[in-house]
Amino acid sequence: MSAGPNAGKLVGTPMRRKEDPEILLGQARYTQDVSLPGMLHAAILRSTSAHGRIDGVNVERALALPGVVAAYTGAQLKEVPYLNPMAPFPFQSRDPFQKGNPTIKFFDHYCLATDKVRFVGEPVAVVVATDRYIAEDGLDLIETDYEELPALVDTDRAQAAGAPLIYEDWGDNVMLKFRVSGGDVEQAFRDADVVIKEEIHSGRFTGTPIETRAVVASFEATTKNLTVWDTTQIPHPISTLIENTIALPELKVRVMAPRIGGGYGQKWSFYPEEVLISLLAILIRRPVKWVETRREHMVGTIHAREQIHRIEAAVRKDGTILGIKDHIFANIGAAYPTGGLASIVTTGMFVAGAYKIQNYAGEVTGVVTNKTPYGAHRGFGKSEACFVIERLIDIIAEHLSLDPPDVRLKNFIPPDDFPYVSVTGPRYDSGQYGRALTKAMELAEYSRWRAEQARYRREGKFLGIGTCLVVEPSSSTRMGSYNAGYYSVRMRMDPNGNVAVFPSGSDEGQGHATSISQLVADELSIPFDDIMVLEGDSLACPYGSGSYSSRFSVVGTTAATLAARQLKEKILNVASVMLQKHADLLELADGFVFVRENQKERVALKEVSRTAYFSIFRLPEGMEPGLEIIYHYRDPNIEFHADERGRVAMFSSFPYDAEVAVVEINPETGTLKILKFVTVHDCGNMLNPLIVRGQHLGALAHGFGGALYEELPYDENGQPLAASFKDYFLPTVMEIPELTFDHLVTPNPFTPGGFKGAGETGTVGPPAVLANAVEDALRPLGIKIRQVPLSPMYIWSLIQSARKRFSGRPTTHLGNSAAELLEQERRQRHRDLP
Amino acid sequence: MAAKRRIRVTINGQIYEHEVEPRLLLIDYLRDVAGLLGTHYGCDTTSCGACTIIVDGRSAKSCTRFAVQADGQEILTVEGLACDGRLHPIQEAFWEHHALQCGFCTSGMLMSAYFLLSKNPNPTDADIKQGLAGNLCRCTGYLPIVAAVRSAAEKLTTKGRKP
Repeated sequence: MSAGPNAGKLVGTPMRRKEDPEILLGQARYTQDVSLPGMLHAAILRSTSAHGRIDGVNVERALALPGVVAAYTGAQLKEVPYLNPMAPFPFQSRDPFQKGNPTIKFFDHYCLATDKVRFVGEPVAVVVATDRYIAEDGLDLIETDYEELPALVDTDRAQAAGAPLIYEDWGDNVMLKFRVSGGDVEQAFRDADVVIKEEIHSGRFTGTPIETRAVVASFEATTKNLTVWDTTQIPHPISTLIENTIALPELKVRVMAPRIGGGYGQKWSFYPEEVLISLLAILIRRPVKWVETRREHMVGTIHAREQIHRIEAAVRKDGTILGIKDHIFANIGAAYPTGGLASIVTTGMFVAGAYKIQNYAGEVTGVVTNKTPYGAHRGFGKSEACFVIERLIDIIAEHLSLDPPDVRLKNFIPPDDFPYVSVTGPRYDSGQYGRALTKAMELAEYSRWRAEQARYRREGKFLGIGTCLVVEPSSSTRMGSYNAGYYSVRMRMDPNGNVAVFPSGSDEGQGHATSISQLVADELSIPFDDIMVLEGDSLACPYGSGSYSSRFSVVGTTAATLAARQLKEKILNVASVMLQKHADLLELADGFVFVRENQKERVALKEVSRTAYFSIFRLPEGMEPGLEIIYHYRDPNIEFHADERGRVAMFSSFPYDAEVAVVEINPETGTLKILKFVTVHDCGNMLNPLIVRGQHLGALAHGFGGALYEELPYDENGQPLAASFKDYFLPTVMEIPELTFDHLVTPNPFTPGGFKGAGETGTVGPPAVLANAVEDALRPLGIKIRQVPLSPMYIWSLIQSARKRFSGRPTTHLGNSAAELLEQERRQRHRDLP
Repeated sequence: MAAKRRIRVTINGQIYEHEVEPRLLLIDYLRDVAGLLGTHYGCDTTSCGACTIIVDGRSAKSCTRFAVQADGQEILTVEGLACDGRLHPIQEAFWEHHALQCGFCTSGMLMSAYFLLSKNPNPTDADIKQGLAGNLCRCTGYLPIVAAVRSAAEKLTTKGRKP
């Protein structure tokens, strides 16, 4: 197929966005701005207990408060005859790969807790009142009685014999088990010169969009039409899920997600409030609105990332990685219908990262605990895999006294191997990993910083250099789930020649309207401003899986392009009748269809359009009236047939990013300063470089947050210790370092535009590259970094322990003495090599 | 419920008079009573800055103030920045520099930028960062916002006008 980045006029251009003026003027309307006549306001009582049996919840006193219209407990709602438990999501099947692997258990959670509470933040009761203030007053009057049960916060304890059961009928606390392997991993370990065993932790953090979640529901009793305004990335699946959960006969649900204030995966889930507020609108027969508070968000909206990897690598002395075994334990909190299970399966699929490793055995265990449910977050499972493999590369380099980038370069999938089928089945589309890393190192002046590091160390100062290569597979498909692997677009040219586009996803700030307008303007040769994009309405737009996995730029753009081409074909066919020339001889440009050989023979596009709508008897029989089409695009690089070893090609494009970081550590405070940060990013052709840059920068900020500041700790009783922005630290403008930013362009060979996903690699890299840099800085102290965030407390306490270890040795300053000791250890280790 | 109190507030040059409950937050007054929905609620702990407005010439977070405190005060919200439907130079610069994505924090960012430039027409990058440190953005990675404010400052200074 044709069309490179600049084949048209607008694609490839850094155009400013058509979405922006409305937002800048304060006129953009979000879900929390929806207001309807007679609307009531809901407030939700949430569990303060991490694990407890509900002995009683009483809403009578709340009901007596003036202004309170209704109040319900979970037990009361369970009596509603048509209310079902929330449907599983996104694996709607207990056997999604149809191979008995993964094995998944489910639990029938209702939108309000019925028998037990299983995490702090679980919805327990609801009050509906004439305003939000009164509804919250009502919460204070609800009486709850829990029998406290022992809380589980740790995956090892939750799996220990005799551990309390969070779901009694399961028999254990394991929700998911998945095994995936390829090659002959045992032989790889027999062939190894060195076997390296490590335990690496990924901390719990999350996306925290500045817009919290909100739901407004309105029910027409006569038609049984329910309209739900919802902060969701997936309007169509949510409409289906609500219909399945509220099985009121003849109920028809329309979900509207007109403008979303950031998603990052947190709004890709099926939440109890989506059911609860819908149900209330049906029960009360008045519109009901709920807007999540930030405190609710921090405990009631999904968390992500928390995993332990017990990993082993089989390595040759020259740094060649022969094979990897990884046991992955994900702390997935309570078993809610989120994307968490899919994300941890994804981790298991991508531990090999950017490397040509063809012997691998992974086992993923999803362990339930009394924490907030675990779900999607930008980087979806791949972030954890990347953190582990990129840490491991540096650990291997340390063991073998090699420079970490050399180990990377030695093991990268070479450019000529693409498309490359990885050990777990996905087919990597294209990439130039070595070139990207080399370029990033040049831009960072890697050699100069190594020399500088030697000087710092002589002075007893701690400077470190980290490298990493992120591969962030994007555009995922999971058969038997709501991730269906196709993208549909409806497109209409109206009688005035304006074009309306209805994509099947939703926009959380990515600028879909601008991107689609660029594509369509080029294909149809019409002005950018004559194109209108309507997204996020489950009734108006074709059914689709929604926005996740950076899929818009892969399958969404392609569907829009091919829809425009099909529409163009129709336009030319109509014009062919009008001009009495075969369509092959015609061209469309600048608002006219003309005969290629004689451009004076032409007809205005508007005339063609009017003919198609209003003069159909001029057209041959069988030609459909109007200029409106629907196009379904099936992802070309997915082969969803898992084999007996769990291998399956479920992601279709493979953007990547080489990063280099230089940091200096202050040993007295444990704080770090980023002296240099380079990113060389490749997402194939760029549709709009301004948007791509914005997406990448924003992703990097998420990455810095997860690497350095953001953490959702719990105490041993399951009480969350970060439940507001006062104790969960998002990076501010002060925390973002200056960045050196460059691109490679390796087009995706599977799509006509050559685009890959963009906007997630940046989230994935910083934890790995900064952890590598910090360990490198602290190498004179023998400090090992095995987790993020790299908080000052964590680094400081590592330095304190190291100081204790080296105390008593004669030294002018700590660094040199430690370095000598470590050098002895290293020599010893090398003598042990075969 | 405490007795309602009458307040008189000037918002974007227009006078509003209402009876309000003493506990009504200023943000809810702006959004639900005055109908100005451009100011956003994001955190309720004065952390995120999405609710930033200008009160008597100083930036303020409207989520942790009461409406009754605004009695007699003059307020500027994001809706009051543009003039005759033309974007304010700060808004124009945000557009030019792709300094917004989902747009939810944008009104607060614009108001903090406006306050900064009203006090300091020639800010350094460090000044700009200081001026925006109370506003969280989860989409842009901030650097385009810094660039936008720098560019707006240059344009405003060249034109010799105050923000």
